Amino acid sequence: MLMEKIMNDKNTKPVILKVEGITKYFGSVRALSDVSFEVYEDEVVGLVGDNGAGKSTLIKIISGNFPPDKGNIYLEGQRINFKTPVEARRIGIETVYQDLSLCENLDASSNLFIGRELHKNVLGFRVLQKREMEKRTVEVLGKIGINIPSVKEKVEYLSGGQRQAVALGRFVAWGEKLILLDEPTAALGVRETRKALDLVLTIRKEKSISMIFISHNLQHVFEVADRIIVLRHGEVVGIRERKLTNPDEIVALITGAIFVT
Amino acid sequence: MEALAAQRANRIFRGILNNIVWIILVLCVIAFSSTIDGFFSIRNYINIIYHSVFIGLLAIAESYCLISGNLDLSVESMAGFGAIFSAWLCGTSPFASGLSLNPFIGLFIVMSIGALVGLFNGFFIIRFKIHSFLVTLSTYIIVRGIAVLLTGGKGVSQLPSSFRFVDSFRFLNMPLMVYVMIIFYLFFYFVLENNRFGKHIFIIGGNINAAYNFGINVNKVLFRVFVLSGIISGITGWLMTARANGATPAIASGFLFEVLAAVVIGGVSLAGGAGSLVGVFAGVLLLSSIHSALNILAISPFITDIVRGGLVLVAVILDSVKRLFR
Repeated sequence: MLMEKIMNDKNTKPVILKVEGITKYFGSVRALSDVSFEVYEDEVVGLVGDNGAGKSTLIKIISGNFPPDKGNIYLEGQRINFKTPVEARRIGIETVYQDLSLCENLDASSNLFIGRELHKNVLGFRVLQKREMEKRTVEVLGKIGINIPSVKEKVEYLSGGQRQAVALGRFVAWGEKLILLDEPTAALGVRETRKALDLVLTIRKEKSISMIFISHNLQHVFEVADRIIVLRHGEVVGIRERKLTNPDEIVALITGAIFVT
Repeated sequence: MEALAAQRANRIFRGILNNIVWIILVLCVIAFSSTIDGFFSIRNYINIIYHSVFIGLLAIAESYCLISGNLDLSVESMAGFGAIFSAWLCGTSPFASGLSLNPFIGLFIVMSIGALVGLFNGFFIIRFKIHSFLVTLSTYIIVRGIAVLLTGGKGVSQLPSSFRFVDSFRFLNMPLMVYVMIIFYLFFYFVLENNRFGKHIFIIGGNINAAYNFGINVNKVLFRVFVLSGIISGITGWLMTARANGATPAIASGFLFEVLAAVVIGGVSLAGGAGSLVGVFAGVLLLSSIHSALNILAISPFITDIVRGGLVLVAVILDSVKRLFR
């Protein structure tokens, strides 16, 4: 752990997110133990690990789905203690869920604005501002170079890649400080995965923002991440600069072939 | 680009299929009007609308529940209870309460009880996470039981003329309650399509996890849906008493399946998240037209059920055809 600290010190960018000593139990199972790391401004961090290593648990704690049993999280130096994902989202931490969290029965613009519908009060009724939402959706999707037949088309009838674009469009529109991508490519085909990765890279260029990218696929991680954090049995077993490591080393860390203490 | 063009073409097909119930309704009315003596008259058309008021109102309540991904079987019993209870409160015949309340106080009380039944349903569905089918099946039975208990199984009649006003007052030959239904449809259509509450109902019905993830107060929305359903059912019962100048404890029996049929024919998905009151209104009118046609032809009423069941089947098949046009 100390070695990583020394390596990180080379990075002089300001810290956006600081995770300190996070521990989480589910019953008697220890899902996370003393997890600490930092995410810098304008950086993509890859979070890797085997099934059950604690990746999703960690992301759910950062995004406010449930609290840690021990440890602290700081966003831009401020200690945060979210009780719901809404609170996290309100201060600029946006999560893209594995299942995309799309409402297939609704159109792209409704999906982009779930829970944030633009409305005005008319005689006590919250009347939706549909036109405005559709306009903003076209703008957002245009920014990341996505073609869909219409923002009024139900997502159900879009292709996998188009759906992904709608889901990612949300964080282009709403993410301000940190985006958490929970296995965004897990449910996609080869071409769609390519598109999704390109999208992530495009968004990086368009927007100054930090991301945590979780994936099983090391190739994807190496493509988009600046640094890679490896979890094993709920512990951080390695933090590596992408340029100074290779997939073999990461695999060794994931599987426990290399012990770092 | 070709893929986009294909998507656009499929969109047109789906557009047609989405409104197919209106096409079927128009075709049926034309066919009945040209082949059945006595069907083609303004009087009969008004009759068709007049006879669809109760099913129509309950269909609004049921549509809201179904779109949110739930089911409310208690609408029928609540309407029945609303009818007998308002008759009991305001009526003057034997077995009435003897209170002879003002009809609007009766309406208010019945609406409040509808809201309570909705809260009861919502409580067990939301807090205890019991499937809405089971919870509302129990209230379906319980509420009907209370209705029978209230008057010891006897009917109540002889309502004051002020109570019957909603039925007896006519404008352009149509009873006031027809306008009540039309206003309800316009209002609840607007809420469902253009209101944040309506949008949240669709979101919850489509993907409840997404609704939680993005901070929608799911419980609050669902409570409102069930309370609304109870209130509309109560109002429907009150209107039934106004039309019949009384009520029996068995009033509205069998409405549930007619309501579900109308809603499904109207394009509301039992899986939740899909449907429109525009379609539901057509579904209600279609059932009422068919009923009227068979009535005029003096065909056994039992045939009606076969036709109705066939229509439900057609609606379900059309719904799955829609999915072919991705």
